[in-house]
Amino acid sequence: MSTIGESSNPLSRFMSDESNAINASSGPERSHVGEVVESSTTELVAEARQLHGAPSFGQFVRVDSEVPIVGIVFNVFTHSIEPNRRPTAYGKTEDELRLEQPQIFELLRTEFQALVIGYLDEMGPVQILPPQPARIHSFVHVCSEDQIRAFTHTDDYMRCILNTVKVPTDELLIAALRQTMRAHGGDRAYLVRMGKELSRLLGDDYDRLSSIVRRAAY
Amino acid sequence: MAKRENGTGVYKSLRGQEIGVITRGSLVEGLEMKLDARQNIEDMKAGKFVVIEGDKNDFFSMVTDMRLDANNQEVLLHPPRQEDELLRQVLSGTSTYNIVSLRPMLMMPKGADGDEGPRPVKAIPSHFSQVQDAMEEDVAKIFGREGDEQGKYFSIGSPLDMDTPVCIDMVRFAERSNGIFGKTGTGKSFLTRLALCGLIHFDKAVNLIFDMHNEYGFKAMKETGQSNSTFVKGLKQLFGERVAIFSLDPQSTRARGVQPDHEVYISYDQVTVDDVATLQDELKLNPTAVESAYLVYAIYKDRWLRTLLAQEGPDVEEFAKEIGAHPGSLVALHRKLKRLENFPFMVQKGHEDGDVVDRIMEYLDRGINVVLEFGQQTSMLCYLLVANIISRRIHEMYVKKSERFYSTQKPEDQPRQLMITIEEAHKFLNPSAAKQTIFGTIAREMRKYYVSLLVVDQRPSGIDDEVLSQIGTRITALLNDEKDIQAVLTGVSGTDGLRSVLASLDSKQQALVIGHAVPMPVVIKTREYGAQFYRDMGCLDDVPPAERRAQVEKKTNALYGDN
Repeated sequence: MSTIGESSNPLSRFMSDESNAINASSGPERSHVGEVVESSTTELVAEARQLHGAPSFGQFVRVDSEVPIVGIVFNVFTHSIEPNRRPTAYGKTEDELRLEQPQIFELLRTEFQALVIGYLDEMGPVQILPPQPARIHSFVHVCSEDQIRAFTHTDDYMRCILNTVKVPTDELLIAALRQTMRAHGGDRAYLVRMGKELSRLLGDDYDRLSSIVRRAAY
Repeated sequence: MAKRENGTGVYKSLRGQEIGVITRGSLVEGLEMKLDARQNIEDMKAGKFVVIEGDKNDFFSMVTDMRLDANNQEVLLHPPRQEDELLRQVLSGTSTYNIVSLRPMLMMPKGADGDEGPRPVKAIPSHFSQVQDAMEEDVAKIFGREGDEQGKYFSIGSPLDMDTPVCIDMVRFAERSNGIFGKTGTGKSFLTRLALCGLIHFDKAVNLIFDMHNEYGFKAMKETGQSNSTFVKGLKQLFGERVAIFSLDPQSTRARGVQPDHEVYISYDQVTVDDVATLQDELKLNPTAVESAYLVYAIYKDRWLRTLLAQEGPDVEEFAKEIGAHPGSLVALHRKLKRLENFPFMVQKGHEDGDVVDRIMEYLDRGINVVLEFGQQTSMLCYLLVANIISRRIHEMYVKKSERFYSTQKPEDQPRQLMITIEEAHKFLNPSAAKQTIFGTIAREMRKYYVSLLVVDQRPSGIDDEVLSQIGTRITALLNDEKDIQAVLTGVSGTDGLRSVLASLDSKQQALVIGHAVPMPVVIKTREYGAQFYRDMGCLDDVPPAERRAQVEKKTNALYGDN
């Protein structure tokens, strides 16, 4: 059913992470956007391959792990690689800085956090937390529209987002909904369906529902 | 995903689209359905016919009420703005939802064949049973199909929003008194004409119609709401020799281009005191007047009225003393009965054609339906008098015939079922008159003597409760007055829902049918009374010549064999 299952599953199952990594780096295209540097069952932190190159807030990402894990980006941050050193303000544009002080960009890292919302098994997407967290150094890819469509056919991902305390729930929901809307070809009927589910999930909170729906459709 | 799709794809419905699920309810109060969010509440009209699919039974139900509901007061306090279409869509079916009240009317075990027909509801379906639009087969299963081998089903219309014919069982219809009610201008005459056509066409009863407004015999005007009124065919045109027109006012009948089969004259000797008693309201008689009339009758018997009216003004007092009546009272009676002399059809002696009632009886015996036209004589007094006199005599004859049949028990002695159609029935059947007029007796005695009534009225609340409760089938067009609605539903169980249905009918071409001849109450869009109907009734006048010839030939062959 899902393209992820077909393309990545058979290979990743029989290859170690290392060979996978070599393959990816030495292959003709390096499609990953980041690499897992911190991992738990419910969320993971990945370092972006390029500075400022993290997937956007609310984007669906897939981690090539033993079981491919699906998450939603809920936080992106750029900081110095040395914990004790903060970047200082130079009063110059980025282009000028790149000419005059190219080294400072090497000292910066962009990282992003993703909320784990499910994984892919042989049958297709499953909206259940994976049995094992993603492995460190696994590559993170941005989900294709097909994958998003397959994964968001049902509304369970919204429940996952709503149940998480650490994230800006409403904003994340809106961003995720806008993502999925796009994947579903801007289908208004889909948004209405999700809105209805959301209304059920939010129960009595009509203000919140109307704000989310209005902003998601904006 | 795939699993889920398989999971949800399992249920398949034999009927149309699911329109909702049952969420609550009781046997006594009816059921509530949550309308599917995809459905538009405006499609749920009161009186709509739906089917609830239970686990073991199908429940045939009628939509009786709808309600807008919300789970959250917030939504109602801050409704989505007009331009916020999306939010409204999201809310509809979730936070704001529609509840439709259903009244289960009949249940039928699933997979039952024809013999195991629909039964009264004794159970209710479980939670979340699906509700669907009724299909053609459902309607046919319940109401039968026209053209069955016994020829007892007659289609009078179709359910709301459906094209399937709803049939009434003409055998059951004929065996009890029936009522056709509705405000003026709601199509009572058309409904009556339809019902009469059914009775005549399927030959389930012979009819005597007191046609006050000359609507049934020969063409009648159709109210189109525009200036160009059109005419529709009357019974005589549709059924030819099976209908005879009697006229009280032959001149008027002829002026409308119709030759009456018989002219009606009534001699004073045919008027009994009881007949006068029923005119109490119309003539404003006081109770003593009737007693005085009895005194006259005691002496002069049948000639009482002739004798009384023969007295001139001052002689009446003298006459009163002679017979021992109160002079004032008798003078008043005399004065008021003088009005009868103005009727051109009142004659001193029996007409040379013989007694009109015998004539009518003769026709009825031969199975010919009689339409009695009143022509210009449209006063209520005249209608009451004539209808009463004739019906009384005919009823007497029927009683004799029935008694003979009971004693001989020979099938050939069995009288033909007679149905008497009366308009403005509340005049005959109001609580005081119902005890005196013959119609009250007929309505109560019902089929014992093979005579029943077809009561046509716009004010059913004026009819005696006792009579109303005996009415078998009620065909009711729009009624607004609460009392009238109450009256029509007298003697019908589970009427709560029907009340709202009745008050929300269209003012044209819609009727609620309840009672003996239909298995469940149903709102119908009445059958089109036009060319197709004429053809269905076997009238070939409007059929193109070629087709007509072919039909006649076919029937000739059927009759005489093909050679």
